[in-house]
Amino acid sequence: MSTLRLEPARVGTLTAREGEGRWYGFDLQLAIFALSLTVIGLLMAFTNSADDPFRPGSIFTRGLVWLALAAIVFVATAAADHHWLRTFAWPIFGISIALLVLTLVVGSGAGGVQRWVSVFGLQFQFSEVAKILLAVVLAHYLAIRAADISSLRTLIGAGFIVAPLLGLVLIQPDLGTSLVFGAVMLGALFFAGASLRWLALTVLGVVAMVPVAWQFILRDYQKQRLVAFLDPAADPLGSGYQLQQSQITVGSGGLFGRGLTNTLAGQNLPVGSTDFVFAHVGEQLGFLGGIVVLTLFALLIWRVLHVGWRSGDTFTLAFSGGIAGMLLFQMIVNVGMVLGVMPITGIPLPFVTYGGASLLSAALGLGILESLAMRRSRST
Amino acid sequence: MNEQLLGREPAPVGRNLAPRFVAFGVAIILAVSGLGLRLFQLQLAEGSTFAAYQVLELTSERQIPVARGLMYDRKGRLLVENVPTFVLRILPAELPLKDRFELAQRISELTGVKTRKVIERLDRHTGSQFELVRITDVDTRTARVIAEDPTLFPGVQVDLEARRKYAHGQLMSHVLGWTGRISGPEYQALKDDGYYPEDLLGKAGLEAAFEDVLRGTYGLEEVDLDREGHEVEAPVILRQPVPGNSLMLTIDTRVQKNAEKALKWAMDRIGVKRGTFLAMNPQNGQILAMVSLPAYDNNQFAQGISMSEYTKLLEDPSKPMLNVAINEQYPPGSTYKLVTATGALADGRISTTGRLRTEPFLEIGEWKYWEWNREGWGPLNIFDGFGHSSDTFFYQLAGRLGIDRLAYWAHQFGYGRPTGIDLPGEASGIVPSNEWKRRTKNEIYFTGELYQAGIGQGYNMSTPIQVLNSYAALANGGTLYKPQLVRKIVDPEGNLVERVQPEVVHELDVDRSVLRTMRAAARRVVTIRHTDNLVDLPIVVAGKSGTAEFGVRDKQGRLPFSNWFAAFVPKQARKTASDPTGTAAVRREDSDLVVLAYLDDTRTKGNVATEVVKYFLQLHYGLKVDLRNFDFLVRDNFYDRNS
Repeated sequence: MSTLRLEPARVGTLTAREGEGRWYGFDLQLAIFALSLTVIGLLMAFTNSADDPFRPGSIFTRGLVWLALAAIVFVATAAADHHWLRTFAWPIFGISIALLVLTLVVGSGAGGVQRWVSVFGLQFQFSEVAKILLAVVLAHYLAIRAADISSLRTLIGAGFIVAPLLGLVLIQPDLGTSLVFGAVMLGALFFAGASLRWLALTVLGVVAMVPVAWQFILRDYQKQRLVAFLDPAADPLGSGYQLQQSQITVGSGGLFGRGLTNTLAGQNLPVGSTDFVFAHVGEQLGFLGGIVVLTLFALLIWRVLHVGWRSGDTFTLAFSGGIAGMLLFQMIVNVGMVLGVMPITGIPLPFVTYGGASLLSAALGLGILESLAMRRSRST
Repeated sequence: MNEQLLGREPAPVGRNLAPRFVAFGVAIILAVSGLGLRLFQLQLAEGSTFAAYQVLELTSERQIPVARGLMYDRKGRLLVENVPTFVLRILPAELPLKDRFELAQRISELTGVKTRKVIERLDRHTGSQFELVRITDVDTRTARVIAEDPTLFPGVQVDLEARRKYAHGQLMSHVLGWTGRISGPEYQALKDDGYYPEDLLGKAGLEAAFEDVLRGTYGLEEVDLDREGHEVEAPVILRQPVPGNSLMLTIDTRVQKNAEKALKWAMDRIGVKRGTFLAMNPQNGQILAMVSLPAYDNNQFAQGISMSEYTKLLEDPSKPMLNVAINEQYPPGSTYKLVTATGALADGRISTTGRLRTEPFLEIGEWKYWEWNREGWGPLNIFDGFGHSSDTFFYQLAGRLGIDRLAYWAHQFGYGRPTGIDLPGEASGIVPSNEWKRRTKNEIYFTGELYQAGIGQGYNMSTPIQVLNSYAALANGGTLYKPQLVRKIVDPEGNLVERVQPEVVHELDVDRSVLRTMRAAARRVVTIRHTDNLVDLPIVVAGKSGTAEFGVRDKQGRLPFSNWFAAFVPKQARKTASDPTGTAAVRREDSDLVVLAYLDDTRTKGNVATEVVKYFLQLHYGLKVDLRNFDFLVRDNFYDRNS
C-alpha cells in the first residue's frame, strides 16, 4: 500500500531530538481519510442549509464550529500521553455510566425517549462519547488479562463491563446505539485475541435472544420501523415513507450525481444532513461520490487497525479493534438504512453525519489512536 | 517490514493474530462491495430508481380537490356542511430540535393549546419524522401570523381545508358516519382512483356507503417542473373537477328527535346502556328515524379525534361506535312469533278458527317447557294465542311446522340475511335449520330446540332492522323492501340527479288473507291489554312485544332479558267512531308507519320497549294524553310478568 505517511528518514532531523520527535509516528493517512469524510459531510450541510448557509446557527456554520472543536480535541488527545488513560480507566468507566444516567434523568428526545442533553444550548448525545470511553475501558481490562485472554472468564468479565452501559442506552431507549456498544465489544475482543469459539457462541446466544427482545423489549415504534423495513410499500405515509424517500433520493443521483445544488428530491428528505446524509451524497455526488465515501471508510478502518497491528500490545490492539468494529458497524447500518437494506435506526454515519457529539467522539477516538501510534515504542 | 515487526514483537499471548486481520479485512471489503452493489442497483442498473426518477421528474400530476357533497333530511334540512378551517401541519423532520420548545411555546400562545400538549403531539408521532402532526381548527388570526413569518415557525405550514360539520352530532352519528384521514393501506388501495396522501374519505355510515357519490371527481392537472421543483408554465388541466353530489335522506329530523327523546327517556330512567329505535314507511322501505344509543359525536372525528379519545370510544363497554340497529344481533324473542304464526297459517297447520290448549308447561322426557305465566289460558285461537303471547301455544305450532318450514318462513320475512340497508357492517342474524345445525354443531335438531325456535329463543338471532322489516312486510300486505336511507341524489345546484326507487327484495309467498289475520292478531295484542294501557291511545296501534332471554342464569335461576316492541299504525291513525277498536283499520294494507324499540338487558318490571313506542307515538302525533307507566320502569328481574 502506498502511503502518505511521513517516513522517518525524511524527518530524521526532527526525530533526532528524543522525546520531542514523537510526531514522526503520527499516522497522517488516518487523519486525512477522516478529514475527507468530514469535509464531504460539511459539503452536504452546506448544500442542505435551508436558506443562507453562512447565517449563524445554520447547520453549516454550526458544522464548522463543531469541526474546529473536533480538531482541538483530536490534536489535544493525540499530543497527550495515552498512559494516563490506563491509569484512569476505572474512573472513566464511572464517568461513562454517570453520563448515561444523567441522560436518562435530564435528557429529552422524540417519541418519549431520552437521548439528548443540552449543554450550553447545544444538543449533546452522551452515548456517542460513551462508545469511545467503553473502548478505552475494555482495552484496559483486556490488557490486564492479556495472559489469560482466551479464557471464558475474560469474555464474561468484558461482558460485565459492557452490560451496564448497553443497558442504560437500551432503556433510553436507543436500540441502535446499544448495538454499536456490542460492535465495540466484539471488535475489541476479536483483536485482543479472545477465544473465537466463545465469541461465536456469544453471538449465537444474542441472536437467539432476538424473539424475546421483540416480545418484551422493543417499543411499538421500533417494531413499526422494522416492519416498515421489511415492506416499505405497506405504509408509505408512515415509517416506510422515509425509506422510500431516501431510496428515491439516492436513485436520483445516477452516475455523476445532480451536482451540489440540485436538491429537488432532497425537499422530501430534510433530515438528510443528519442520519440520512448518505442519501444526499448519492443524490448530489452520484454513484462515484458514494463509492468514494465507501472507499474512504474502508481505508480509514484499515488504517485504524494498522495502528494495532504495528503496536502488537493488547491495549492498542483491543482499542483499535473496538474503534474499527464501531466504524464498520455504523457504516454498514447507516448506509444500509439509506439504501433500504437495513432497518431505520438512529445510528449516524461517523464523520459525515452532521452532529456534534458524533464528530467530537470520533475525533477523541482517533486522537487516542494517534497517541497510541506515536508512543508505541514506550508502551512495550 | 510490518510482518517482521510483528514477528519480532510477539502478541501478548504468543498467538498469531494475522489471520484475524485478514478476516476483518475481508469483512470490510465484503461490506463495502455489498453496499456499492446496492448503490449500483439504485443508481445505475436498468429499471433502477434512478431511471424511474428521470421519468417522474419531467412532469408531475396534481389532484384538484373538489367540495364534498352535502346531506339533507327528507324535508331539506341541512345535516352536514363543509366549513373552511385553517390547519397547521408540522413536519417533525423539518423542525430543528433546538427550536422545538420555542416553537411549541409560540404555537401554544397563538392557539391556546397547552405547550406540553403541542410537545406531546410532536413527540407522539408513531416513529416517522415524516408523519405530519396536525393542529386543526386554528383561527384566522393565528393562521395569518404564522403564514406571514415562516422563519419563526420552521417546519410549520398553514393550509386551508374543508372540514365536515355535522349539524346534529350524536343524534345522527350512526346514520351519517364521519370522514377521516386516509390510512396507509387505504391509500394503497385507492390511489389509482385519484386519492392522495392525507386525503379525506368516508369511514363510517352514509359517508362511507356513498363515498363515490359524495366525493365527486377530483380534477387532474399536469405541471411541468424544472429541476428546482418550480412550475415552468401554467398547469394543463387533464380532467375537469366535478364536485360531489349531495344526498337527500329519508330521515326526518323531527321524527329522529322524537325517537331519540323517547328512547333516552326510558334508558336514562332505568339505567339501560344500549338501545335502538327505528321508524320506517312500510310502503317503500324508507327509514324515517334510526336512533342507536349510546352514540358518539361525529364532529369529534371531523375535527380529528385524538388516539386516546378514539381508544376510549372503542373500549367503552357500551360500544358507542356500534349501531345497535344493524351491527348487532340478538334473540328476537316473542316478536318472532309472527313468523311461527304466519307459517302455521300458510302451511295449514292451524286455521283461523282452530284452537290449541295452553297448559302451564309442555313436557319432553324429563324436560319441562313452561308457559311464561306458569298457568296457561286454556284453549286459545290464533288471535288470542298471539295476543297473550302464549309460549305453549307457539311450542305446539313450531312442533307442527318443523324446524325447516319455520326457517323457510323466517327467510320469507327477511331473517337470516342482511336487509341490504345502505350502511356498512350489517349483521346477518341466525335462522337455525336442520342443515344449519348439522353444519355448525354436527347434531340433529331436537324437539325442545324446535320449541325454543318457535318463540324466537335458542339459536335464533336477529338484528333490530330485520325485525322492523318483517313487521313492515306484515303491515304492507306482504312486500319485503330493502330499507333505504337515501331518497334522492342532487347536484350542487340542487338539481335532481337520481331519485332512489324503492327496492323490493321479494313478495312473501303467502296469501294476503293470512297477513290480514296476523294484522288483526297484532291488534289483539293491544286490545287484550297484553301491552297494558297502550290501547287507550287515541291512535290505532298493532304490534308485538318480546322479552328475549340471554346470557347466564342468576342464583335464583333467572335469566337477564331484553325488551322488544314492533308495531305499525294504519294510514288512518286516529280511532274513528265507526271503527272504535281499529279492527277495520288494521285489515287494510295502507300503513305508513312501522316502528320498533329494542332495549338491551332491561330486567324491568314491565316491557320498556312498549313504553318507549307509546311515548314516541304521543310525541309523533302530538297527543295531549300521557299514558306512560312510570312504575313499569323499575329495575328488577320480573321476568315472568311480561312476555
